[in-house]
This record gives sequence, C-alpha cells and structure tokens, in this order.
Amino acid sequence: MEQLTANRSFEPPSRTALAARTVSVTDLRKTYPGGVDAVRGISFDVAPGQVFGLLGPNGAGKSTTIGMLTTTIRPTAGAAHLGGIDVARDPIRARALSSVVFQDPVVDRSLSGHRNLDIHGRLWGVSASRARERTRDLAERLDISELLARPVATYSGGQRRRLEIARALLSDPDILFLDEPTVGLDPRIRHELLDVIGDLRRHSEMTIVLTTHYLDEAERLCDRIAIMHEGRIAALDSPEALLAGLGPEIAELRIAGDPDDALETLTRERLAGDDSFVVGASVVVPLHERGGSELISALERLAVRTAATAIRPPTLDDVYLRLTGDRLGG
Amino acid sequence: MATIATHIPAPPTRRVISTPAALTTLARRRFALTARTPREIFVPLITPILFAVVIAPALKNALHAGDAYQSYVAVGTIGLLIPLNMMFSGIGVLVDRESGARRELLAAPISRSLLVLANLAVALLVTGFQLAALIAAALGRGIAFHTSATGVAWTGAATVLFGVGMYGIAETLANRIPRQEEYIARLPAVAIVPWFLAGSLFPITALPQVLTDVAKLLPLTHALALMRYGLLDDPSALSNIWGMNNTTAMAALSLGVVALFAVALTMASIRVFRRMAVG
Repeated sequence: MEQLTANRSFEPPSRTALAARTVSVTDLRKTYPGGVDAVRGISFDVAPGQVFGLLGPNGAGKSTTIGMLTTTIRPTAGAAHLGGIDVARDPIRARALSSVVFQDPVVDRSLSGHRNLDIHGRLWGVSASRARERTRDLAERLDISELLARPVATYSGGQRRRLEIARALLSDPDILFLDEPTVGLDPRIRHELLDVIGDLRRHSEMTIVLTTHYLDEAERLCDRIAIMHEGRIAALDSPEALLAGLGPEIAELRIAGDPDDALETLTRERLAGDDSFVVGASVVVPLHERGGSELISALERLAVRTAATAIRPPTLDDVYLRLTGDRLGG
Repeated sequence: MATIATHIPAPPTRRVISTPAALTTLARRRFALTARTPREIFVPLITPILFAVVIAPALKNALHAGDAYQSYVAVGTIGLLIPLNMMFSGIGVLVDRESGARRELLAAPISRSLLVLANLAVALLVTGFQLAALIAAALGRGIAFHTSATGVAWTGAATVLFGVGMYGIAETLANRIPRQEEYIARLPAVAIVPWFLAGSLFPITALPQVLTDVAKLLPLTHALALMRYGLLDDPSALSNIWGMNNTTAMAALSLGVVALFAVALTMASIRVFRRMAVG
C-alpha cells in the first residue's frame, strides 16, 4: 500500500501540508447560457485528509461543482479555495495542488498508457526519476503494468479508468477529485476500484472529493456527504449522522389504496412522525423509539390495506427521499 | 454546516513547470498524435502536388505558355498547401475536445494559451515537411526556381506568418463549431476559395476590377506575392498590389500585412479557446 501514498512520512504532516489539503466553497453558483441554474449557491468545507462525497442524481450539480473546483468550468458567482488559494484569482497554483478523474474518459486514445502518464507527470512538474518510480508503483498496484505499452484505444472501460486513476495519483496531489469514478463499469471492476479508493482513504493523507449517485459508494468511502438536489445542498453530515436522523429502523409500507390517505391516517393516529413520507405507492415511516410491530398491528385496526410491509434499517436513499422526494436511481 | 476551525497558514507552493518545458511537452504530445494520424500529413499534400507536377505542366502545354508559367503555378500551390494543412490541423483540436485529453490539459497547472501555441508549433513543423516535399516534387518534375538567401528569407517569413494566421482561423473555427462534420464542410470555403482569387494561377490584374480590389485585401495574395519574389525573383505580383517602384518597400509592406494577419488571428484564436474551452 505504500505505493499509493503521497510523500509518506512517519512525521506528522506540517501545517503547510495540511493547509494544502483544504477545500473551501462559499456560495458557489453556476448558471449556464440559456439560464440553466446548475449550482444555486452551495457552501462547504473539507478538512485535510477527509473523503468528501457529493451525492445526488444526474443533474444535481455535482459534476459542475467539480468542474468549478478544477477550473474547467467558470463559476457565475461565489468563491472556491484549494489549500487557501482562490481558484479564480490564482488558477495555476490551485491546479498544481490537485488532480482530477473525470466522469467521461479523458485520455489520448491513440497514445500509449505510458505516454499518457508521462504527459501528466511533466505538466505537473514531477521529476523524471520520481515519475518513473510512481508509474512503476501505481501500475503494479492498479494492475495495469502489462497494458502501459499499448495504445489506450485498446483498453477496456475498466482498464482505462484505472489508467486515469493512476495518472491522477502520479503527481501526488494534495487534493484528488473523482467525478463519478465507477460509473459505467461492470460490478466486478467497480468493486475493485472501490477497494483502491478505500485504500487511498485509509493509507494516504490526501483530501478526496468524489461525486457519486451510488449510495453504497458514498456510505463506504466518505467521511462526510453533501446530498445535492437541483443545484443545492439538501443535507451535509457524516453518513452515520444522516442515517441516525431516521432512527434505527424504518417501516416501508406498500399501500394497496391511496398512500397519501394512508400517511394522513397514520400521522393522525401518531403512528407516523413528521419525517414520514410517500414515495410512489409506498409510505416510509421512520420508527425512532416506536416498535415496528405496534405499527403493523395498527394497520388492520385503521383499515390501511398494504400489499407488502418491511421493517429495515434506513439507507441513504431513504435520507435522500425524505429530503427531496426523488429516488437516487443508483 | 460544519466549518474548519484549523488556522490556515500561508498558501502552499508546489513546483510549477516552466513555460518552455510545458510548451515542449504539449508540442511533443501534439506531434505524437499527428504522427499517428497520417491523413493529417498526407491528405493536404495530395492536391498541391497534383497541381505542381501534373496540372502546371499540362496548363503550360495547353496554353502554350513558357517554363515561367510552370514555375508560377508551382509557387501558387504553396498557397493551397498551407491553408489546407492548417485547416486539417484544426481537426485535431476537435478530436481533442470530443474524445481526447483536453479537459485533463485544462486542469493542468499551466497557462492555457500554451495549448494553442503548442498545436500551432506542430502545425508549422508539419507544413515545413510538406513544403519540402512539394518543392522536391516540383524540382523533380523539372520546374525551375531562381532564388537567393534573401529570397529564401522573404519566402520563409511569408510562409511562417501566413501559416500562423491560417492556424489561427483553424483553431478559432474548431473551437466554435460543435461537430467535426460541420468543420469539414467549411474547410473548402476557407482553404480553397481564396486561393483562386489570390493570384495563384494567374495575376490578380486578370480579374474584374472589383475582384482585383478584393484580392488585394487577402493575406494570401500578399503571401504569394512575397513567395514569387523570393523563389522566382519576380516582383510583378507585388507591383500588381502596391504599384510602387521600390521592390523592397513593397515586400516589406506585404510582409506587414501578413504579420498583422498572423498576430490578429493568433490573439483571436487564444481568446476564443480560453472562452470556449471553459464552460
């Protein structure tokens, strides 16, 4: 694992090194030509070494946010700082601190993997010897050593994505941006990549900002999550705290009749709290201190007909549904 | 909303690559991509070589013209080669944007103008190779040139500056036009139509007066006049534009026009790139 870690040292990182790994976003906005408000004033801070997730469905504004932080999209208003450096005023110095893995493939397909890595290393000012050492180590860790001599056009989607991750890590970034790193990959490759990112989280000191619409990714990898919805942050906390808001268990009731009527009945009888919600034909009731059996037995008494019932721990999907009324679709 | 309570010391400094090193890296990348796309090198060569070694001698015979006309047309084909090659180079910009590594380069800690300048440097290099091939083909066909060191200098300066300006047009269009098909559809209008008006096959004075006046405004007319002066020791094309007696002064004026074209289009292309590349 040492291979993946940037400038590993047994000494605690200096304050300057820590400062280089902070991300600060204040009232950031982006309106595209035509009046599409992709990001509507978001603010958050990421502490050094944290893995910060932007969770939300397609169109929530996640990639636009990453674009503004990496200076590949121009903000309409607001400010963003990487390592204390204003990305709008001093973009070159800000970019020197970070690397990015984009959602879509962003590689020179007709060039070899080696050449793609070499170009990144040179542009990010990595010395030739350090680049060689990092290339060897990263290629081994990401299992792409055998591929590097081949043109990238011959790679599978998973191989190309691993190359892009290796490329982003080559320059030992203080801040790594991962924009939907596993989207479009088959399940096996996806889990392998999640392992790699998980290793980074455990063993390196870099700050990671990742976007995803996969709940399991966010829950597994992130220290803190911002749930984005229609360009705004609907909630921001640790996964545990977000889940704790719904209590230890929830009841999911698939209603045979009108779910809105059923929820109204349950609320009137104080069996469902204000945080209960309807999604499609189902009513979701966070149980908190109430027992699930109490609720189930009351359904018959209240003539609420159900097609199916389930008592289960809440997921981030439930958190998202409660906040936005939309399903994430991951 | 959680906030960071940590006191933030002075912003950190990372090693940033020097401008010449970044330019070299980007130019090497572009050259590697171009070398893997032979169509970008060979397709622009086909038509000019055809004109120089087949059509020029055929016209000479058909029109009962002398060897001088053959040389005249051969030099004129340079004015076809440069725009064609520069416009084909623009396709690489589109490929970079649609399916290449452009966003990675935009995220690099370098000045974004360098991306345009590196592409330009490689386009000029490729044009140099093509020009050498064209002249070699013309010489092989027995076409004569009458040049001197000064003539080569005038020709070289005109070629480079006109090439720079044409690349500016290609880069600007490639950044403004959404799809490759649309770009290719505009290629003949930009690269070929001016060639017929710029004194490539006949002097501009042979055109109707209104078109002669239009031709005098075309940078290609000035570039070709300089090339004919440099390669054939023939100042008549310069005289057709300026109507002066001092050949050096006319050459300098035409070079000024081509330089203005180069600077203006390069600045425009960088401006358009920086505006269009970042959403």
